Amino acid sequence: MGALVTAIGRPSWHASLLEWLGRQGRASVAAGSLALVTAIGAVDYGTGSEVSVTLLYLMPVALGAWAGGRGVGVGMAGASALTWLGAGLLEPGAGGDPLVLAWNASTLAGMFALVALALAALRQSKANLEAAVAQRTATLQEEVLQRRRAEVRLQQVNADLHSTQLQLIEAAKMEAVGRMAAGVAHEVKNPLMTLGMGAGYFLQRRPAHADEAALLQDMKQAVGRASHIINGLLDFARPRPRQLAPADLNEVVDDALKLVRHQLATQKVTVQRQLQPGLPPLPLDRVRMEHVIVNLLTNAAQAMPGGGTVTVRTSMHAGGDRPPDQAPQIRLDIEDTGEGIPPEHLGRVFDPFFTTKPLGEGTGLGLSIVHRIVQIHGGGVVLANLSSGGACATVTFRSS
Amino acid sequence: MKRVRILVIDDEASVTRGISLNLEALGSYEVRQENDPRNAIATARAFMPDLILLDVMMPHIDGSDLARELRADPLLKRVPVIFLTALLTTRETKGHEVRVAGWNYLAKPVDLAELTRAIESHL
Repeated sequence: MGALVTAIGRPSWHASLLEWLGRQGRASVAAGSLALVTAIGAVDYGTGSEVSVTLLYLMPVALGAWAGGRGVGVGMAGASALTWLGAGLLEPGAGGDPLVLAWNASTLAGMFALVALALAALRQSKANLEAAVAQRTATLQEEVLQRRRAEVRLQQVNADLHSTQLQLIEAAKMEAVGRMAAGVAHEVKNPLMTLGMGAGYFLQRRPAHADEAALLQDMKQAVGRASHIINGLLDFARPRPRQLAPADLNEVVDDALKLVRHQLATQKVTVQRQLQPGLPPLPLDRVRMEHVIVNLLTNAAQAMPGGGTVTVRTSMHAGGDRPPDQAPQIRLDIEDTGEGIPPEHLGRVFDPFFTTKPLGEGTGLGLSIVHRIVQIHGGGVVLANLSSGGACATVTFRSS
Repeated sequence: MKRVRILVIDDEASVTRGISLNLEALGSYEVRQENDPRNAIATARAFMPDLILLDVMMPHIDGSDLARELRADPLLKRVPVIFLTALLTTRETKGHEVRVAGWNYLAKPVDLAELTRAIESHL
């Protein structure tokens, strides 16, 4: 009943009422309609067969047909006609012909039954229509859902394609660079060898003047520098097979520090070593990773021409920037106290041949090689400025 | 005192000349140059070197093929061969001679001291 009151209180109360009635059981509807017939019969008995009261019998008929279906509606039509007849025969002062009353009652029953049948059919059509609409809506929703899934899949496929395309372009580029490097190496290293051997030969003959000896030494050094550049190009271009073996990153850092200790001391660079003990072993190509660390240390030292401090830090971070169930991230930070990297250069530092060093002093391949080696290890490397001044190179690995 | 016989096979005459002049200036080496790899076997048989310095990338015959021919020759099969290659870097060879797949390699441009060290280690 509370639900009925709530339904009537709404703006579209009639729709809500019909909906509420539709949810009631057939027996409840029949009982309610019959009670209404009885109540109208009582009114009919008291008022003396007014036509307006007779029309009231349409209410239980309509109610029964709408909410209870064809059977209840026709039943209510019969019950209403019988009640109308009873009221007509029994009401005080009734003087009508019983046969005429019975004939009228049967006519009324027929009319009520027709109304009941029409309403029940209408209700059934409405229900059928609603079911069809609901089914169509569900089908459309499913189609929309499938289309969205297909769109997501398509986006994924597109992303994969894009990534594959980039990898293919990168591979083709590297193959071209590799071919070029091999060609350049062959064409340039032979003349370099001739120059080096020539300078060496004349040095052996002990030149009469010190200047001549110095010049020959300069030539040998120039050959060495040019050779270094060609070697860098070969290193960059040729992804040699990895020789991965479990290694302690801290040990590799210490080995690399030993290699550059003298150079750093000469450049008045102090090293602060902050290595987190107990790091899990990483699958590393030790020689290459040493090369990476030496390169980053050298780079840091070069950023501080007047000397300074390089902080080498290793650490482990649970999950890193990935979900917590992912393997922990191992980080290597190499910080310097130099002037930092000009913001306009930050995006290009790993580009091959990009250098800020004076002409002839840098190959522009050091950081590209670092990037490539770290990439081959499945790791990442970034170079960023520190808020305190200086720059920090961060190499990250995923512990397996 | 018998001088050590070295045969240098490289298509670049300037390279063989440089090596030859440097080694001969040391006094203890006798060097023969060969710039056409097709004549290398005949030159080697005639000269009978104690060691062969062999370029890898050459026209007509690749250094590796030539090395295999030398190994197959009954007179020359015991003569040590050191490859001189432009395709390896000094970092890969760690600045000294390396052995890859059973062969000895030096990365060009090679330094005289390194060259003599490598030669002496094979004699």
